[in-house]
Amino acid sequence: MSTATEAESGALPGLAPASKGDHAWIVAKHFALFFFLVLLWELGARAGWIDPLMFPAPWGIVKQIGFIYFIQGNVWHHLYITFAEALSGLFVGSLIGIGLATAAALSLRFREYIKPYIIVIEATPRIAVGPIFIAWLGFGFSSKVALAALVCFFGPFVNTLTGLLNIDAEAEELFRSMRATKWQTFWGLRVPNSATILMAGMKLGCASAFGGALVAEFISANEGMGVLMSRYTYVLNMNGAFATLLSITLFAFLLFKFADAVDYYIVFWRSDKLMQRKSKKRQAAFLKSLG
Amino acid sequence: MTDATIGAGGIEARTELAETGWKRLAMHILVFVIIVGVWELAGVFNQLNDLLLPAPSVIIGKFAEMWLPTFLGGTGRIYYHFFITLWEAVAGFFIGVSIGVSLAVTAAVSPMFRRYLAPYAVAFNVTPGIAVAPLIIAWFGFGLSSKIALATLVCFFAPFINTLTGLLHVDEEASELFRSMRANRQQYFWKLQLPSSMPLFIAGLKLALTGALLGAIVAEFFSASAGVGILMQRFSFKLDIGSALATLLSMSLMGLLFFTVMEILDYRVIFWKRDSRMQAVSKKRKAAWKM
Repeated sequence: MSTATEAESGALPGLAPASKGDHAWIVAKHFALFFFLVLLWELGARAGWIDPLMFPAPWGIVKQIGFIYFIQGNVWHHLYITFAEALSGLFVGSLIGIGLATAAALSLRFREYIKPYIIVIEATPRIAVGPIFIAWLGFGFSSKVALAALVCFFGPFVNTLTGLLNIDAEAEELFRSMRATKWQTFWGLRVPNSATILMAGMKLGCASAFGGALVAEFISANEGMGVLMSRYTYVLNMNGAFATLLSITLFAFLLFKFADAVDYYIVFWRSDKLMQRKSKKRQAAFLKSLG
Repeated sequence: MTDATIGAGGIEARTELAETGWKRLAMHILVFVIIVGVWELAGVFNQLNDLLLPAPSVIIGKFAEMWLPTFLGGTGRIYYHFFITLWEAVAGFFIGVSIGVSLAVTAAVSPMFRRYLAPYAVAFNVTPGIAVAPLIIAWFGFGLSSKIALATLVCFFAPFINTLTGLLHVDEEASELFRSMRANRQQYFWKLQLPSSMPLFIAGLKLALTGALLGAIVAEFFSASAGVGILMQRFSFKLDIGSALATLLSMSLMGLLFFTVMEILDYRVIFWKRDSRMQAVSKKRKAAWKM
């Protein structure tokens, strides 16, 4: 397994942060472009250049979004189901991934023995196990959680292991020269060191857990966003399918932002502001303990 | 761009056990044989339910039956499906990589394009690509093209973001050297940006090939008449789990094949990452120069 890298947020590199005044202007230009494109699409649909059965007009999609969210209101239930499946899957998958990674980091022998299996598991398209899981666990909730867990465990696993193993050589030497025990090195050095990259792995896992839950729903289910999407497509209600797809994007994005926020507070030493606040608090606590 | 890319190679780090070579290999085989032996014994003593998890001998039997040609007593039915899926994944991979790389090069050359592309890239990245599967089927029909399209869609993002990151993040000192030698824009691109993007580009290709295989298989789950995905689904729905697991094993084989191809590519293209290869290439170039 050589180095495979992946962008975790999709934020493009090489974008200089703009100043506050510039920022509003840039956002305005973005919106202008966006509305221009949407307008073009709408006009194209009205003029009959675009087949509405294939690419529905934006206004139709907006109406459909209003319908499924507020008038019929059926989307909430499906959203809840898919979220529950994906998040439970993420929970189970990252527990397994982090557990395996911790064991592998602590024992060289274990690491050596699981390596070939990990390579095979990585090479297998794990989502393909979907039908087997459905045969094993039935058509309900558990088969979706299982597939989400299987698909997502790899990100947290590899990242935790990388974080636990690739520690700063000088810090390690410091721990050694202070005669730190193995556990002190583990908790005091390895675990904090892995926090950053572990969170990145969780974010990757989050995205793939969603994919796993959706695919399991596609294969067979009676509720969830995947089912909603297939149903709309099969009756060629393209407005509905696009509205569902946009909902998936929106809520996946919100989840991503939430993960970013959690990341920000857990890995506090990456942000100067948080770092200083935390340091001050610790200092105060320390002074208090001195009396 | 260390913050936007994550390394996934932790298992490689520091795995030197004292014993080497044959002894290590023998231990690996021993562990494998013990695991499979226990599993098989459980089958012999009727502890396994064939509907859930058949014994290894059953799976291997089904595997052989699939792969052996008719004159050797098998059915040889996997070949057709195997190569259909292989073709779908490889075609999707090439289209996806072409799209991803051309987008990346354009974005690297033009900051304006990069800026306007950014929000769409984020939205695209958070949406699980396979969620679009029903739409793709509606657009492209039930044949091969819908599978290739989904494979393309799922796989293009990794080469895009990795190539872009690689093109933009060049070594600052090298960049300064180019500037002080008054390199023009073409020279800067071809001699500095392109080579320095290669490691990340190859990493992106690896992810893309896995993604393409995944996309092809998921599209087959929806509706197809050929391919390992549909084979897998048929076996699972018939509760012929032995054959389903044998199909899964075949998919792992395809994944490993892809993995190996990528490793070879990695070895040939990024020769400067390995000292021995670097020396070999240097020697060759020197000999060629003398002529």
